[in-house]
Amino acid sequence: MAATAPERAAFSPTERLLGLAGVVGGGVLGVAEVAGGMGVLLGRIVARLFPPRIDYPELRRNLYKMSVKSVPIVIITALFTGAIMVIQAAPIVKRLGAEGLVGWAAGFTTLREIAPLLTALMISGRVGANNTAELGTMVVTEQLDALRVLAIDPISFLVLPRFIGIVVTLFMMTLYADALALFGATYCAQALLNVAPMAFYHGLTGGLMGFGDVANGLIKSIIFGVVMALASCHFGLATKGGAPGVGRAVNATVVASAAGIFVLDYFVSFLLG
Amino acid sequence: MTESAEHPIEKRGLAYEIGAGTFDLARAGLELYSVFVRTLYYVFRGRREKGAVVRQMYEIGNKSVVFLTITMGFIGMIMVYQSGLQTKRILPDFSLIGATFLELLTRDLAASIGALMLATRVGAGIAAEIGSMVVTEQVDALRMSAADPIDYLIKPRFIASIVMTTALIIWSGFVAFCVGGAIGYFAFDIPPRTFFSTQLVDHGDVITGLVKCVAYGGAIPIVSGYCGLSTYGGSEGVGWATTRAVVNSSLTIIILNFFISGTAYIVFPK
Repeated sequence: MAATAPERAAFSPTERLLGLAGVVGGGVLGVAEVAGGMGVLLGRIVARLFPPRIDYPELRRNLYKMSVKSVPIVIITALFTGAIMVIQAAPIVKRLGAEGLVGWAAGFTTLREIAPLLTALMISGRVGANNTAELGTMVVTEQLDALRVLAIDPISFLVLPRFIGIVVTLFMMTLYADALALFGATYCAQALLNVAPMAFYHGLTGGLMGFGDVANGLIKSIIFGVVMALASCHFGLATKGGAPGVGRAVNATVVASAAGIFVLDYFVSFLLG
Repeated sequence: MTESAEHPIEKRGLAYEIGAGTFDLARAGLELYSVFVRTLYYVFRGRREKGAVVRQMYEIGNKSVVFLTITMGFIGMIMVYQSGLQTKRILPDFSLIGATFLELLTRDLAASIGALMLATRVGAGIAAEIGSMVVTEQVDALRMSAADPIDYLIKPRFIASIVMTTALIIWSGFVAFCVGGAIGYFAFDIPPRTFFSTQLVDHGDVITGLVKCVAYGGAIPIVSGYCGLSTYGGSEGVGWATTRAVVNSSLTIIILNFFISGTAYIVFPK
């Protein structure tokens, strides 16, 4: 990280001379710098996992702050999302005259795609952004340097508990959102299409869907969690320049997490089939 | 919150927590409503600053194009791939995938997913900018010069966001559909002539989609501007405001989506 900063500073006058090519090249270098920084951070985190050197009280504190405090927004998001999925599937199901299949039609997309994706976006906004703000404030107020002076490793004291916290939070919240979205969908289907809840559940468990579909969404949630945690810790640690710097870091985190989530979603869907 | 300072209650029961939460929510809702009404008032009655709206349009619109193109392109690929897999399981007839995808994209996906993406990018940007201004007392300076921060800061963003959200969502829906068509061709051998069909899109879908664009475009700057204006306490406060802006704008979009979709389902029966 330290080596790239002077290089980029040296690059900017050239960038002005080169015009469009400079802008494109600068953008590519910026993306490469972020990806490299996240890779190095992942390496450092993994190195501290074997054997685990984690601050357990900090881990517990983070798990509480990230998971328990996110429950309300996950409840609202999941219930409304399930209902929206049924509203969107309703015309298609009606056209085919297959009201009994609405459980399957809404459930398939919800479990495989929408629940992990929307939960990840909401958790990225709440937990990922908040985590960046917290780490960024610590960096700006030189608390990280103070930790280093005390010979406390900031990665195992601050970053590792947050990394594990975010991954675990997203996994659990996706599981929770799956259940709640199906619950919302069931009662929306009853209100809109007159499909009895039992018929809806039968559509879910009638053999067209298996555990594989649920597992698909859960594997995605773990991968999203890793990307989100890396982006959030990386931008938090790379914060510079006071209060506006913290705002910029948070902005960069949510943008990078969202882009990373969507891009990886496609590749994971494709790989898992 | 102030009440607990006046009457220090040692043990806060569940009723206290729920009551305090409800009051906070109601207060925030009222303030949000007041910001919305004042913004609407200033749109018609406020002073006109040359170039402010155009500058915000550039900030909100042009700078989000690449981000939205990438994410919506991937969404197009994912949705077509997943619905292809889904169709394969019940009847291997791919002829309606393109038309259904376009219908869904027009009615919901383009506007809602695009707006969620914009809420993270634009919402975080607005809250961070206004929050930094609050923390560095620039907003107080505005008030001292008798300039309402809502007129000066939120109104241009409101107008710019409505225009640019609509434009960006139409563009990103187009991108998602084209990329989806390419995936349909390569993964499921759907001929482009079959995929690119508008037979299922009617005026109801287009109206629903456009109403969503305008509603989301208006909601993002109002919610995140409110979060930015209610910032307190240094750089940590700016971080908090940004987080709240992203979460609240996303929640607002999901709730608005539910109501607009429900209304559209009743108003435009298929």
